[in-house]
Amino acid sequence: MIRCMALLSGIFFAPFLFAQTASLTGKVTNSKTNELLAGAYVYLSVSNFKTQSDGKGSFYLKNIPPGKYTLRVEYVGLSDYSAVITIKDNETLNININLEEKIADLQNVTVFGKINGGKESSARGTERKANNIQNIISAKAMERSPDINAANVLQRMSGITLQKNSGGDESYAIVRGLEPRYNNTLINGVKIASPDEKSRFISLDVVPSDLLQKIEVSKSLLPEMEADAIGGTVNLVMKDAPDTQLVKVIASFGYSSIFFERKFTSFSIKDIQTKSLYDRYGAAYSAQPNDFSRSNLEFKPITPIPNGTVGITYGKRFLKNKLGLLVADNFQNQYYGTNSEYNQAVPDIYKNQPAISNTATRSISTQQLNNGLTLHLDYNFNDRNKIILTNVLLFSNLAQSREVVDTAIKGGNGGRTVPGTGPVTNDYTSISNHQVIENVKLEGKHILSDHILFDWAGVYSDAIKRSPDRADLFINKKIDTVHTTNDINGPYSFVSTPYYFDDITRIWQHNSDKDYDLLGNLTYRIAIRKNMLELKTGVLYRHKIRFNIQNEYDLKPTTNSNGVKQEYTDINSAQWVVYDTKGTQAYDVNNYKLFENVTAGYMQVKIGLPMLDIFGGVRVEKTDQGFTLNTFYPTGINGVTKNYTDVLPSIMLKYKLNNKTNIRVSFFKSIARPNYYELVPATLLSSSTPTAESGNPDLKHSIADNFDIRYELYPKEEEQLFVGAFYKMIKDPIEYAYVDVSNYKPQNFGTATLYGTEVVYTKYFGNLGLTGNYTYIYSQISSPKFYTDVIAQTTDPAKLQKRPMQGQTDHSLNISLLYRNEKKNVFVQLAYEYLGKTLARVYPVYGFDYYQSPQSFLALSAEKQLRNRHFTAFGKFNNLLNTATINKINNLLVVKDAYKINFSIGIRYSN
Amino acid sequence: MKSRHYYLLGTVLTTVLFSCSKSDTTTVITPTIPASNPITPGNISGFVKGTLTTGNTYYITADLTIKSGDTLAAQQGVTVIVKNNSQVNVNGVLLLVGDKNQPVSFNSDSNKPGTWGGFQCDSAQSVTIKWTRIYNTGGPDPSGGPRKSLFVNAPINVDLEDSWITNGQDDIVRLQKGAKITILRNTITSSGSTDGEAINLKGGVTGDVAYNVVYSQAGTGIKLETSSLQPFPQTIVNVYNNTLVANGWRRGAAEPGRGVSIGLNAKANIYNNLIVNNYQGLEMFTDADTVNTKYGNNYFYASVDSYNDTTAHPNISISLRANFYPSDGVGKPKTTDLISTATGNLNPMFKTFDGTVAAANGAGTSNDFHLQTGSPAFGKGNSAYSTDIGAYTSDVIKSNQH
Repeated sequence: MIRCMALLSGIFFAPFLFAQTASLTGKVTNSKTNELLAGAYVYLSVSNFKTQSDGKGSFYLKNIPPGKYTLRVEYVGLSDYSAVITIKDNETLNININLEEKIADLQNVTVFGKINGGKESSARGTERKANNIQNIISAKAMERSPDINAANVLQRMSGITLQKNSGGDESYAIVRGLEPRYNNTLINGVKIASPDEKSRFISLDVVPSDLLQKIEVSKSLLPEMEADAIGGTVNLVMKDAPDTQLVKVIASFGYSSIFFERKFTSFSIKDIQTKSLYDRYGAAYSAQPNDFSRSNLEFKPITPIPNGTVGITYGKRFLKNKLGLLVADNFQNQYYGTNSEYNQAVPDIYKNQPAISNTATRSISTQQLNNGLTLHLDYNFNDRNKIILTNVLLFSNLAQSREVVDTAIKGGNGGRTVPGTGPVTNDYTSISNHQVIENVKLEGKHILSDHILFDWAGVYSDAIKRSPDRADLFINKKIDTVHTTNDINGPYSFVSTPYYFDDITRIWQHNSDKDYDLLGNLTYRIAIRKNMLELKTGVLYRHKIRFNIQNEYDLKPTTNSNGVKQEYTDINSAQWVVYDTKGTQAYDVNNYKLFENVTAGYMQVKIGLPMLDIFGGVRVEKTDQGFTLNTFYPTGINGVTKNYTDVLPSIMLKYKLNNKTNIRVSFFKSIARPNYYELVPATLLSSSTPTAESGNPDLKHSIADNFDIRYELYPKEEEQLFVGAFYKMIKDPIEYAYVDVSNYKPQNFGTATLYGTEVVYTKYFGNLGLTGNYTYIYSQISSPKFYTDVIAQTTDPAKLQKRPMQGQTDHSLNISLLYRNEKKNVFVQLAYEYLGKTLARVYPVYGFDYYQSPQSFLALSAEKQLRNRHFTAFGKFNNLLNTATINKINNLLVVKDAYKINFSIGIRYSN
Repeated sequence: MKSRHYYLLGTVLTTVLFSCSKSDTTTVITPTIPASNPITPGNISGFVKGTLTTGNTYYITADLTIKSGDTLAAQQGVTVIVKNNSQVNVNGVLLLVGDKNQPVSFNSDSNKPGTWGGFQCDSAQSVTIKWTRIYNTGGPDPSGGPRKSLFVNAPINVDLEDSWITNGQDDIVRLQKGAKITILRNTITSSGSTDGEAINLKGGVTGDVAYNVVYSQAGTGIKLETSSLQPFPQTIVNVYNNTLVANGWRRGAAEPGRGVSIGLNAKANIYNNLIVNNYQGLEMFTDADTVNTKYGNNYFYASVDSYNDTTAHPNISISLRANFYPSDGVGKPKTTDLISTATGNLNPMFKTFDGTVAAANGAGTSNDFHLQTGSPAFGKGNSAYSTDIGAYTSDVIKSNQH
């Protein structure tokens, strides 16, 4: 007991006992470039003294007891430093360290010495060393950029544009002009389940950039990579356990300036039932009018509270560095809005061109609450065995109100006769949904012998979405003219009917998507004379199951004794009858179950010659997929199974002109699978238009031949110059088109070609830096359109039109001006983005398509380290030019979405 | 001058006929031909072909499908009761042939508006419905909305003759995609909840719509248009001698319905229609084929000056006569038209008419739209179609038989 006490007091008083101690300071530089190196790992071996060099390359270790130590400094890509030092009492020892460029050590690259438990290498280093064509953005660049989520970050990367919905709550990556269907999204190298009820996509705006270590975009595929990416693979790499203890806290608040101009439209979610009546009371229950709440259709203007972000990251290694831990959580609560003008264009048959038939204003208010939590645990049994557990949990909660006021301009059914007249329809929608994406990965790496590495992983990925009680209210009125005199051509005034209650629909929807993955790889590496040979083989099996459940109730207005529907004054006095009292759940065509099993195997070989890396191999992917509709349809297709096997070769050459220059050439074959629900032939009827959308079980997967060439120059740390070109030939590309006037469905359209060029450039001039990229893309696809010959009075429903692929932008340019002052600890980034003409959507009439007009965006971010060097204040200002999204058909304005400026300011603590 | 010659000839012929002596009496004896593939009375569902035989009652318990190449026929006097909101899918041939004395009947077991799914003939080979009662169609479809009572989306022959459709929901007869139609002498009443047209023809439909009575439809009685994507071939229909009463009110003043409307590149000949108490009478929209659409000899009447829409606050008073040719259309009165200028002026003299303007979906009616002797409708028609106006003419063969 006394001994214990003594021990405790010893620990307790230890700092005091060593109060008279020494310090160690210094700077770490690259001996060749004389650059100060940030983030070098500095430690005294066989002690707990360790640190990382700061942004100026400086390190500082204090309270060191006097004695003899081995000082070690490590930096990825450079050779390790090691020196024995003696520290005397009360001394402040200053040692400047020059790290040498690592000389390729044949022994190191041809045997598996040990598994590196340390940090990731820098972005440029990884790009340079990568076997394939990559673009990487690092955590530091993301932290300093104006962006707060993965989607925003991606749009600044070379060759990437975003596809956004007009509510601004969904954004998907378009890589090299190819729509999301041609790309895949990975977390830590493995597919993630999709929370979308019909597609494979995952909206990247729910991933806080604060959780990311880096984003890697691979534009050429190795056989070891999943093959369903024609544009590219977006890999979100989550933060990893650090070498030294890491504590980081971030807090910011901001505002969307659109709410300086108008209010946020809010509705109450308190009465929303999570489950539909069918799920609560069973199939036999007959819905009553009072079963449907009113408060989620009662819209109130409010002034939103500021947007807020709070994040915390903690990382440390325990048990003599064997156990690594990193936990990060990021919470974002944001209010944003869109003001839109939306004009519907129908073909004017006498002029054979589109004309505006309806004009609508749309006002969207969205509150989005995102929380991202990542956990990383790794354990190094020894130098040769390691396991890693990562868990990524993304939670998103959305509440969105939409108000659309639509006025008919022309056309039948009582269109406008003079300006100001015509039928007016108001559509109010309240949407709330909850989305959870989880991805658990357990992986291991084992060096079986000096020449053989085995790694494996098991992944469970799960995505669910619940959209309870999506409520949609329609009301309408009509504005006419009345003559104020008896003269039929004389003056008139306007007279409006009151609003009538037209219809309400209530939809409960939920879906689930689950993936189970197993994969294993075996690598054999050996030196043959002065060359390196690596053989790698592996397998992957993924089993996916997903379902969607939708239940819709239709509420129709009660009528007076004459059968006429009622006037609409407000939601609380509206009276309705339930038209489909049982709901649609028992027979809704949106309800389906689906599976998809992918079995893949590959073999690849890498030959490392002094000047040239040759890389080749083949991947085989077998896909078995199928769906069943929940309801049996006697006349329709109730299910489909599809099987296909693709043999996908890949060849890459990396010619290493010198230490700083690569030239790469590559060819690979890859595929894109149809979206899940696109195979389901169920016809989604529309009561408002004669057009119905349906799936297509005959849809084939797309197969592409991809050619790439890239010149890479790495002049200095962080600097780069890439110039590349690519060519793709896509067989059976998938786009939507009309089969006839009443049926719109996804189809394969022959072969599409796409080519382009990319330039990436980063250069520093003292404190100023310039980083940017430029991409040009050309693509061509032919699809059938309606063509009316007014003279001959005929309509050809399938005249082939050549056009760019949907979603493709011709020119895109990103330029950022960077200012960094290491003395004053200031960093400023002014980011400019230009997007050229983009084919936003295909118009069904020959010769016309919806194009998004060119856009220029400007964003600014700045940060300054405070006097207490643990704290950094920062500000992020987006859309400074108030850039709107404008879609036109030739000169006809169809869509104009305005978002306004968005800003946030905050503070970051790091130890 | 010429017509007097015909009168003379008629008199001579009649004299000749009556002056003949007793004619011979001949009785032809034919064997009773049994129905092909008779279907046993009772419950039917799933894939069915054959004949529903005369005088029997059948119960459709779940969706019934006629496969491509198959025929479902119903003989006169067949009664079909539909349960469970089921529908009849027609991919083959539908042949319902009742007669005046023994019509075929389709109704739901609950006998309430909107309680079964109707005839969904998206890809049928042909549709023939004669002397058939189709009641209470329009139950919810898989997206929760109402189903059409008779839906055809194929370039096939569609004959709908001498039948009754009552208490349906929304669109009643919706034909599109180049169907060739013969819609004669039907009576469509009290259909459409708060929306829907009685006869809605789209997308290159051609044929005749004549001698029909449409009473108290929520939306428009007869609506013609094409698709803006595929304006050719045009929808080309002769619309004549229909009696259209009290249509277009239930959607409210924001979306008035019409007796007849011609929109988007549709072309029509519109003659001899009797248009009474509709919200709006005959409307030709600006985007119709206004050059080639011909109309005249139509008869407009309102039994009241105005209708007071009491659902609106303050109430709206709607002038019926001002809307015979609505101001937002391009149609203009013709000299051959009969246009009432006041209550009682040019009263068409229906056999019985209670003066209904707006009435509820499913409301019963005892109106009889036969014309009394002396009705101004007689003799004012365009003789290319009929000498009279309306569905009930002095030519008893062509006239609506109900």
